[in-house]
Amino acid sequence: MITTPDLIAALAADATPVKRLRPPLARAAAWLIFAVLLIAAIAVVHGLRPDLAERLRQPVFTLGIVASLVTGILAAVASFLVSLPDRSRLWLLLPAPSIAVWLSTIGYGCLTDWVSLGPDSVRVGVAVRCFVTLVATSLPLSLVLLSMLRHAAPLRPTLATLTGSLSVAAITATALSLFHNPDATIMILIWNLGTSVLIVALACTFGPRMFFRVSRRVVLRGSGEKRPI
Amino acid sequence: MSSSRPSSFITAATGTTRRKDAADAASAARDRDRAALMARAQAGEREAYRRLLEEITPFIRALASRHLRDVSEVEDTVQDVLLTIHVIRHTYDPSRPFAPWLAAIANRRIVDRLRTQARSSLRQTPLNSKHETFLVTEPKLEYTGSDAAVLHTAIECLPAGQRQAIKLLKLEEMSLREAAAQSGMSIAALKVATHRAVSSLRKMLGGQRRSK
Repeated sequence: MITTPDLIAALAADATPVKRLRPPLARAAAWLIFAVLLIAAIAVVHGLRPDLAERLRQPVFTLGIVASLVTGILAAVASFLVSLPDRSRLWLLLPAPSIAVWLSTIGYGCLTDWVSLGPDSVRVGVAVRCFVTLVATSLPLSLVLLSMLRHAAPLRPTLATLTGSLSVAAITATALSLFHNPDATIMILIWNLGTSVLIVALACTFGPRMFFRVSRRVVLRGSGEKRPI
Repeated sequence: MSSSRPSSFITAATGTTRRKDAADAASAARDRDRAALMARAQAGEREAYRRLLEEITPFIRALASRHLRDVSEVEDTVQDVLLTIHVIRHTYDPSRPFAPWLAAIANRRIVDRLRTQARSSLRQTPLNSKHETFLVTEPKLEYTGSDAAVLHTAIECLPAGQRQAIKLLKLEEMSLREAAAQSGMSIAALKVATHRAVSSLRKMLGGQRRSK
């Protein structure tokens, strides 16, 4: 076991210059710009739904789309704020009002239509197409967000992951409302929040071990020793 | 006297307020110093970083001591906090106060340590008297001086033949033949005398132990 003065000496010896994080709002804005670009790319490849203009005239549809978009933006801001040690956890409540509005507008949507057996063959349901678009949208968003929030791992991994996943879910729901006829929100929420629970479980299982490994490397590098602490 | 009391109260209250203001000012100045040291540490200045870590260690130790009793647990937590600070030192914004940033990290690591303690105590069962193999109140000692003295006294109380047999065969560890040659007793007589001596000793010593 290393003594505290020795540890301080090792950490000081390892004090290489670090790049400070930019303000959380600027980082949230950068991620949202990436999300907009990704959705625009998918829209070019996939094409918008044919009845979009007609649906946008329906108040419930428009309300749902605006609420999910606002939830996505606010959850992203909350996620970047709570990932920092000195920011209040009350920021988690930031997307709460818009979540309430968003969830009040959703239905079962395409969750019920996975595969149907026709007279000639097995027909792939609309759920599969929904799912493919969902993964194509949410996976890059999740990976980029996870990478941007990795500094939260030793402090608030659960809160940062859950708010981040909520943001990805809401942005994906907004995007899928533009691409697909059926409402896919329930499927998106299950997929994204399920993924976040998986990430949190992995972080809880392997997080302390990873932290120990990183710490040991830092101490060994700083002290120039070869023995483990 | 009654007229001077309110003025003394006011003076005392003003003094307290001044002391509080002075303490607040000192605390703010210390926080600014630490923020500046952290900013220099982020730029890679090792001496500033070492000074900062040495300055904050007593504070972290005091914070950990409030929640943890074991000294080694406190020291482990202090080291965990220092390592966390090192790993995420890029998250500190020098335009913001340093103390809340540090306190949040320290509290997080203390909570983690308390959780680990709670989990490990759930897996452990404390030893109590039910888990002991022998439930005797007497000390489990193989040899004590007082036992030897008691045995020698008991041997002296034996009849002469038995006493001689036990001394030669057991204390001096002679063979039956040697003992027979020295005592002039037959081997059979020695055997009988030894057997009776052991029975008598057992009776005497057992009786003493029971009477204890």
